Amino acid sequence: MIEVKNVSQSYNRHGQRKTLEDINFSVREHTITALVGANGAGKSTLLGVMANLLPALSGSVLLDGTDVRRVKTNAMAKKVAFLKQTQLLSIRVTVNDLVEFGRFPHCAGRLTQLDRDKVSQALEYMNLTELRERYLDELSGGQRQRAFIAMILAQDTPYIFLDEPLNNLDVKYSVEMMKIVQRLVSELNKTVVMVLHDINFAAAYAGYIVAMKDGRIIREGVPEEMITRETLRAVFDFDFRIEKYGGKNVCLYFDNE
Amino acid sequence: MRILIIALFVVLVALSLMIGSLGGVTPKALLAGDETALRVLLYSRIPRTAAIILSAAGLSVAGLIMQAISRNKFMSPATSGTTDAAAFGLLMSFIFLSKQSGIVQTLFAFVFALVATLLFTSVINRLKLREVVYIPLLGMMYGGLISALTTAVAYRFDAMQMMASIGLGSFARLGNFAIVYIVVAPLILSVMYASKFSIIGLGEDFAKNLGVRYRRVVFLGLAVISLISAATFVAVGPLPFIGLIIPNMATSFYGDNLKKSIIDLMLFGADFVLVCDILSRLIIYPFEMSVSLTVSIIGGVIFMIYLLRGMYGNRKQKTV
Repeated sequence: MIEVKNVSQSYNRHGQRKTLEDINFSVREHTITALVGANGAGKSTLLGVMANLLPALSGSVLLDGTDVRRVKTNAMAKKVAFLKQTQLLSIRVTVNDLVEFGRFPHCAGRLTQLDRDKVSQALEYMNLTELRERYLDELSGGQRQRAFIAMILAQDTPYIFLDEPLNNLDVKYSVEMMKIVQRLVSELNKTVVMVLHDINFAAAYAGYIVAMKDGRIIREGVPEEMITRETLRAVFDFDFRIEKYGGKNVCLYFDNE
Repeated sequence: MRILIIALFVVLVALSLMIGSLGGVTPKALLAGDETALRVLLYSRIPRTAAIILSAAGLSVAGLIMQAISRNKFMSPATSGTTDAAAFGLLMSFIFLSKQSGIVQTLFAFVFALVATLLFTSVINRLKLREVVYIPLLGMMYGGLISALTTAVAYRFDAMQMMASIGLGSFARLGNFAIVYIVVAPLILSVMYASKFSIIGLGEDFAKNLGVRYRRVVFLGLAVISLISAATFVAVGPLPFIGLIIPNMATSFYGDNLKKSIIDLMLFGADFVLVCDILSRLIIYPFEMSVSLTVSIIGGVIFMIYLLRGMYGNRKQKTV
């Protein structure tokens, strides 16, 4: 259970230029929650505060009733896995190494048989067993993406936070990524919160959408309520055309005049 | 690969024990109970070889940890002001306490090295400068400033001669050899923390996500680096390039998972310096050259090759 209570955050200590202002919401369990909004709306900042990577200036984030600032780094790492947009790492490690890093909160680097089993399971689930000895920089974008997800699976947390996971990915890998995330929720019962840039990915895959603007949450709800011309105009200052396609709403953003 | 490194290590250690201006230290003589040979072995060859192994292994590990912390393959204790600050610390101990035991000198060198390295890394972190070559360049300028200050102070206090003699690395300085055994402690520590150091190399957010206390581990790493640099500097003087090329060569074989590579890295570093030292003992036999010289020449060439290959490698990566 993760609840965000009256959280505010700003660039400097004096509280000018707020990046988050009075945020209140609770994360829906066993669902994909998408944080959407224009650039600079505070989506990534909010996710960072929720993962306790940067402490909130005021207000609090409660993880199962305890303020995350009081949760030990290691205990936090067993509850919440956080993944930034998958960039090329500066260091050279194999897929297996990376996934073993995921077990670090549990074993502090000394892997037991249980840890090895979890690593193998994660690799198996992500279809990476044959690639386990390959170096990350030898893999395709999609394979690398799966390796990072495998690491998070090995970390074995109920909550998964993904910060713009689709950046730098082309359409094929983006769709593959979203399908994987869907499986994490439906098969493994995870709770996922992710920052998404493309409103259509949120509309198609998320179970719940939180829309932010200028550091505030201005609307939240299930996709059916959220994907309306009126709401999207409020969020993005832009008129989308909403079309029905296969039972879902699709937002079109060209030739709207 | 590992077997090769170990085999080479054994051969080189044997060679290092047997080569020297005083001949006659052969297995045959030792077995026959030749007392001179035994004494040379015990009081000269063994300490010398131990010093080589420990300082080489130490500096290789220090370079590896430095590269992980700064996430920069061009970093080493020599390109972050650490070594220069150790020299400054050594000078300070000389000026304020005159002749001191090696332990006190090392302590001074360690404290100065740690403070200087902490200062440098905190400034670098604030700069948000991510162009890889600028950081070691800045580090070299910073090191240059420190060593200029060292020279100025040494000049003022008539300590130029001492600094000049220390400035050339050599394994023939019997006096402070014992200091090099200090390196064992940070080496053990770095093997214990190997996984944590690799995770630090993945970045602060990444490390925190995996439950690693980033700042604490970085501090520990910098302390390990400073202690190794200080102890080796006091014992044998500067050994340029070791902290730079050995980690780079090792990681191109083993990747950056320190847990897998750290022991091999130490042996590999020791192999390299043993070769250099044996060469510097043989080239103008029965005299010997400063090992800094041989290390610089061989290391410099290897580094150039690595640099050129790395440039092509990067270009290839960008087009993919």
